[in-house]
Amino acid sequence: MKDNKIGMHTFMALPAFFLYAVFFLYPLTKGIGMSLTDWDGISAAKFIGLNNFIKFFQDKRAINDIRTTLLFALGSAPLLNLVGLAYALLMDSKIKGKGIARMIIYLPAVISPLIMGYIWYLLLQPSRGFLYHLMENMGQADSFLNWTAKYSSSMLVLILVNVWQYAGMTMVVYLAGLQAIPVELYEAAKMDGASGIKSFRYVTLPLLVPSIRINVVTNIIGSLSVFDIIMSLTGGGPGYATESLSIYIMRMCYGSKTGYSTAVAIIMFFLILVPVLISMRLTRAKSLE
Amino acid sequence: MKRKKLVSVLLCVTLCVTMLLGCGSNSTDNTGNNENGAAASDSEAAASASTASTDTATQEHVTLKFFTGKIETIDVINEIINDFNASQDHITVEQEYQKDASNIIKIKFAADQAPDIMTTYEKGFLDEGKYMDISDQSQWWDRLTPTMKDLCTDITSGNQYRVCTNMTMAGIFYNKDIFNELGLEVAYTWDDFISNLETIKTNMPDVTPFFIFGNEAWHLGHLIEFLPQGYIKATYGTVAAETAFMNNDKSILNYGAADGAMAVFAQNLLDMQANGLINADVLTATSDNCIQDFANGKAAMFSNGMWCLSSILEANPAMESSIGFAPYPAYMEGSNAVILSAEDSGYCISSETKYKDEVIEFMNFLFRADNQKKYSETLKAPSAFTDVEAAWASATIVDEVSNALSSATNIGFTNSKPAGFSGDDAGRLVQELLAGNYTAAEFAEAFEYNWDEGMK
Repeated sequence: MKDNKIGMHTFMALPAFFLYAVFFLYPLTKGIGMSLTDWDGISAAKFIGLNNFIKFFQDKRAINDIRTTLLFALGSAPLLNLVGLAYALLMDSKIKGKGIARMIIYLPAVISPLIMGYIWYLLLQPSRGFLYHLMENMGQADSFLNWTAKYSSSMLVLILVNVWQYAGMTMVVYLAGLQAIPVELYEAAKMDGASGIKSFRYVTLPLLVPSIRINVVTNIIGSLSVFDIIMSLTGGGPGYATESLSIYIMRMCYGSKTGYSTAVAIIMFFLILVPVLISMRLTRAKSLE
Repeated sequence: MKRKKLVSVLLCVTLCVTMLLGCGSNSTDNTGNNENGAAASDSEAAASASTASTDTATQEHVTLKFFTGKIETIDVINEIINDFNASQDHITVEQEYQKDASNIIKIKFAADQAPDIMTTYEKGFLDEGKYMDISDQSQWWDRLTPTMKDLCTDITSGNQYRVCTNMTMAGIFYNKDIFNELGLEVAYTWDDFISNLETIKTNMPDVTPFFIFGNEAWHLGHLIEFLPQGYIKATYGTVAAETAFMNNDKSILNYGAADGAMAVFAQNLLDMQANGLINADVLTATSDNCIQDFANGKAAMFSNGMWCLSSILEANPAMESSIGFAPYPAYMEGSNAVILSAEDSGYCISSETKYKDEVIEFMNFLFRADNQKKYSETLKAPSAFTDVEAAWASATIVDEVSNALSSATNIGFTNSKPAGFSGDDAGRLVQELLAGNYTAAEFAEAFEYNWDEGMK
């Protein structure tokens, strides 16, 4: 009976395994093979060993792109979690108009990041954008900055727009986690004399660990593989200042460096994998406690 | 329980069978166009399937794919295609437009899904044998102006792999009303050009003397193409310059030199920026911003090609008589003013097409004088065919263009750029320059480094 069940379950897993093999394992192995060649997308590929990987770490632009990608992730992922959690706590409290507020917060998440980028671009344009005209009407036109023309300010804008767009998604996951916490636990904590902060520290946070894990992992992956919001808002510029690794891969691929761009994609895969594994391990240890 | 189990097994089997079916190749596909068509769009797949099925049957009906990146000609080409499709019953032509055509075509070539006809052309693809040799199509070449035929000729082989139906010009658009009001003349030297800009800045503080829409890297790439590379093309001639670009002949290109054309160009740009002669939002301004400012009299000059003429007139139809067109001033010692007079609307045939005769039949129809008249008037570009009389612009603008062409050295596009360093890449380097990340000398060195890397 037991053997029969295993056989049936294995059989049931076949479609999923098939999809996994076709859309993950096959491209991955093919990609690894391609990354060891000098293929330009047209002519015959030549095996060049690890040259593409060595070249990547010697390329100043690539290193700058890693820095930009990491900076974006370091700014974006924690902020997304903090803002999302704050929103969730607010939505879980007894305030009026929660339904509308929740919708307003979540609404940006359903808009395409490309469109979002273009909207913000038009809002922020100096001498022409909505915000400029708003400040002009307030007599503050001279203090309006060209936000997307400088590295530091454009990076800040990118992070804030990303947080503004996806905080709603993070909020939903946290809210689900918060609403699953039994009220009795808070009552017991209150009877034991726990204050609001203590109750949050010793009841809410430990029980939110699964939600934290989901949010941290998805936000790290999303932030490290950021593409569309940067492409539409700054185009990776000025110059290459805000170019992320994903944009670099796309440009290298279109620049007839297909083998090299595949090697960079593999590097990026590990760049994302490492923090994801670390955060999963940390949150797992926390939930076991 | 048993029923649940049965349903589960049936569902699982159905899923497996469906997926395996999806992986199967089209048994009737023998066109060679869609064998590895995993990435093909639905429409492409449908088109291929239709081509294939009819091909194997009786050779009666063929579907040709026409690939373009020219947004401004979609409607007129569709009109001509519809006329062609209705005129006979054995060929159907389908147009596919892609905004990023020059990159999408790379994916199509890599996936063995090359369209039968395409408007994109790259020397690299020619060297890989992706285009058909059309040197024997005398019915086209006999009608084309000799200059245009030369521009369509591959300098390596001396053969023709594309045919261009139109000419385009790029130079400096200026507002004639502003020039007349301030008593300015068209500048042919850099000093005179800067003097004009200074006069505009002093007398019309609300007007941007020279507008650069630096948010769009291609525009900055064009400045490189028309100024420092324009200097090389004008000094050494089209063939010698193209050969130098192709072979990375440093004795001619001289990109990295601190006193070379590239460094001087960079310094001029930095000076213009420092002196407030260009728009302050140079790094974030778009082409639309430029057109709006020029059409509304807020910008006095900008660099662009004739292709933007329809946008200016759309923004301000009353401006037609105020649009002036001038060459790029000479900025290196002993050089001349230059103007782009190049090929436009080039068509290549895939070397892999199985329907050469049908493609030729369609292109003969497309190149008919009446169709080319319609096309040229829509594109607002003069025809390259000697037998096409098209009213592509008003007499005033045609005069402006003729004067500009006769007063400067005519240059073409740089067709032999490195595959790994496109015009957009060059434009992004100019963005870095304008963002203050390079001095002029550093910019020249960076340009040379990137050009060399792109060649590898």
